[in-house]
Amino acid sequence: MKLPKPFESAMTTEGNLPSSDDQNTLEQRTSLVEGVVREAYLRFLDPALIEGLTVLAVGGFGRRELFPYSDVDLLLLVASASLAERQRPAIAAFLQDLWDRGLRVSHSVRAPAECCERHEQNLELTISLLDERYLAGDRVLYDKLGAGLPRFLHGERQAIRKGLCHMARERHVKAGGSIYQLEPNVKEGPGGLRDLHVVGWLGQLRGAQPDRIPRPVLPPELLPARDFLFALRTQLHQRAGRDSNLLTFDLQEEIAEQSGSEAARWMRRFYGYAREIHRAALREIDLAEEKGSNLLVQFREWRSRVSNADFFVSRERVYFRAPQRLEHEPALALRLFQFVARHGLRPAPETERRLAEQMPVLRRYFSAPQSTAWAEFKPLLTSPNCALALRSMHETGVLGAVLPGWDGVDCLVVRDFYHRYTVDEHTLVAIRNLEDLRGAQDPMRRNFAEILEEIDDPALLVLALLFHDLGKVKQDGRHVAESVRLADAAMEHLGVPSDQRREVRLLVERHLEFSLIMTTRDLDDPATLKLLSERAGTIELDKKLAVLTFADVGAVNPSALTPWRMEQLWRVYLGTYNELTRELEADRLTQAPDRAEFLEGFPVRYLRTHSETEIAAHLELDQRSRAQGVALDIRKENGFYRLTLVARDRPGLLASIAGALASFGMNILKAEGFANVHGSILDTFVFADPHRTLELNPSEVDRLRMMLQRVTLGKQDVKSLLQNRPKPSLPSRRARIQPVVSFDNQASELATLIQVVAQDRPGLLYDLTSAISSAGCNIDLVLIDTEAHKAIDVFYVTAEARKLEAAAQAALRERLVAACAS
Amino acid sequence: MKKVEAIIQPFKLEEVKEALKAIGIDGMTVSEVRGHGRQKGHKEVYRGQEYQVDLLPKVKLELVVSDARLEEVVKTIAQSARTGKIGDGKVFVYEVAEAVRIRNDDRGESAL
Repeated sequence: MKLPKPFESAMTTEGNLPSSDDQNTLEQRTSLVEGVVREAYLRFLDPALIEGLTVLAVGGFGRRELFPYSDVDLLLLVASASLAERQRPAIAAFLQDLWDRGLRVSHSVRAPAECCERHEQNLELTISLLDERYLAGDRVLYDKLGAGLPRFLHGERQAIRKGLCHMARERHVKAGGSIYQLEPNVKEGPGGLRDLHVVGWLGQLRGAQPDRIPRPVLPPELLPARDFLFALRTQLHQRAGRDSNLLTFDLQEEIAEQSGSEAARWMRRFYGYAREIHRAALREIDLAEEKGSNLLVQFREWRSRVSNADFFVSRERVYFRAPQRLEHEPALALRLFQFVARHGLRPAPETERRLAEQMPVLRRYFSAPQSTAWAEFKPLLTSPNCALALRSMHETGVLGAVLPGWDGVDCLVVRDFYHRYTVDEHTLVAIRNLEDLRGAQDPMRRNFAEILEEIDDPALLVLALLFHDLGKVKQDGRHVAESVRLADAAMEHLGVPSDQRREVRLLVERHLEFSLIMTTRDLDDPATLKLLSERAGTIELDKKLAVLTFADVGAVNPSALTPWRMEQLWRVYLGTYNELTRELEADRLTQAPDRAEFLEGFPVRYLRTHSETEIAAHLELDQRSRAQGVALDIRKENGFYRLTLVARDRPGLLASIAGALASFGMNILKAEGFANVHGSILDTFVFADPHRTLELNPSEVDRLRMMLQRVTLGKQDVKSLLQNRPKPSLPSRRARIQPVVSFDNQASELATLIQVVAQDRPGLLYDLTSAISSAGCNIDLVLIDTEAHKAIDVFYVTAEARKLEAAAQAALRERLVAACAS
Repeated sequence: MKKVEAIIQPFKLEEVKEALKAIGIDGMTVSEVRGHGRQKGHKEVYRGQEYQVDLLPKVKLELVVSDARLEEVVKTIAQSARTGKIGDGKVFVYEVAEAVRIRNDDRGESAL
């Protein structure tokens, strides 16, 4: 509202933010405008219409919340449409006078009956009537509305509340869905003034009686937030000279400076208030959207199958069974969010209140290193609703208590033209992107989804995303090193094992590389591919960096990850993958001066994928194998078994070992086979024990070991061992993954790459390797991977030390397809 | 006035922008585009499977300059975007009939 000259003095008192009299200032402005409207009424309407017309203030004007350039919402209540038509010239003169005096009037003309009926396409009219106030005109007519409106609102309250909730949710989505936007809209955005109105309106409707609609009452704890936003919106209007509610970077600087604060710190205050308002609005919306309150329904829900000894679920919200336990057992908080992550149910407001109450206890507890912290936190990171759980942890302050360094990025604004969100929000959106990827449908997203499915330990990827921008707290534009430092400290605190810590550190350290390379390097240049492969080092890291970049870029702003960028990122991944695949076979360790000759001829990958401890263990196995021709080690790791075997190579050896494991009922999940130039092999198998044979019968481990030694040395025939194994049952033909066998003579300089993607089953590797051996081919290198029921097996194969010709490929393809189907 | 439209390799964008900035040209429109000229597409191989990439990612720059600066701008773009390989892109020049600065209704070259 552009105020008429006589009232401009009222604006000059509002210079500073925030002041205690903001509500008073708005009311004062409203009173001044009321005077103008009444005056115009007396001049133009009263002489023409002594009865039959009433002027009402509605919307913001009705609430007495007029900002400098707000619309002045008026409802002209008329006794009948024909009367309004007859008095059109007087109404026009009245409105024109208001416009001429600088008011931006937004008006509607309605009869009482129209105000008391549902308008499916215009719920705003009904909502605006919740704030109606008499200004001037026919009192009898106004009383007629006063008699009908409460009855109508009471009768329709459920439908109106639902509609209001729907509008609020739509508005949130339209405004970007997050309060943590770097340039927020203080009126329409989540946590803005409109949310405050929603709290009031829903409360009014909840308390509606047939003869009375209560006035909106805000919870006292929201009043500081309301006053802050009132003063802020006033400032935005004054500075823009129009009804602008966007808190831009420039305005943040100006207003913060004026209030004697640094912009980033001042914005944290803003987000703090917005968060309070947003949560209050969501609570009201949740209440309004709840289904009936039948006691039996509640009882059934209480006993719902997801409830457990610690938590129960009611109306899709999670409650502590015994909240008082939280004080003595703070770890319960982490278990709560595990539960949230598993079931996708948010904590109830009551649960959040309990957490807030015990926050000092939780902070004290989690600030001391907990031996079980990582064991309890990690499952949350791989649960189907991890993003929801982490967001919920963040909103309740528990994430800051559990994760050292996280508080530093809470509501942190980093000025960047492309970024839409604060650092914490960006991080949580990135994690949600990762989660959403699992359900992706379009082909390009599916490509990344498939990579994600193939990643071994996705929890580490989520952990890396949680840490990747922590270093922005330094605000020096170079955050990566600081992020790595903070990640290290946090992981030490959580007790993350050193090998996993190394991996996360690497991901944080390199999280910008793919996005940088995809826009600044020639992706067709072999030098770029070489650089990429050197930086990624392994196909595993290539996959993780690709998916991490996908999630990270997509969280910059809603339109940052264009199909064009996705394609560029895919090219980076693909180029790196192919280069690593090529060098896997071509680039061999030729000299290992400080190692034994055992490593000579192993691919460079070997050094990248094995730690010093593992290499030392392999060298020891090599030493042991020299006396007997074979040495092996079987150990249990993370629920699976790992077999490491060093032996003299011989034709069909890999097939024999795979067959021996299958004959024992073991299911091979991963395998790697390397051969050195001296005729020794190092094979590693990770296998599952689906029947728990080894766990329930420890002596069987020795028997398996003996059998593997005999098979390796050729003293035991694998075929006979396998004869008595029961045939595994496969899924129906329709559900089964159809085998795809592909050959590539370009991927390697020396060997033919064969990739088999097929339905996994016990004994598959044995059948495939037997097929290759029986075709007279030699397996130089093998990488076996299993994802759920899909086996992805890669073999580098030669025949008489050469790549396979077309005819040999065709023959072998037939054998391999047959092996998959058998 | 002339409109200059340049299709360049994505990784050359920063270099071209810097070179234009160095001769005092700051304003331009940049779009992510796909296409190919003589470079055609190429085959990518992933896990032994071939994928035909028909349209290659490129970046399109559009800017309007005065006639007097045209040669200098085209030369700068061509030099900074050049690698010497097929696929470096192209520069097109069009006549511009009029330019209007929306804010204050400036016309012609003063609107650039």
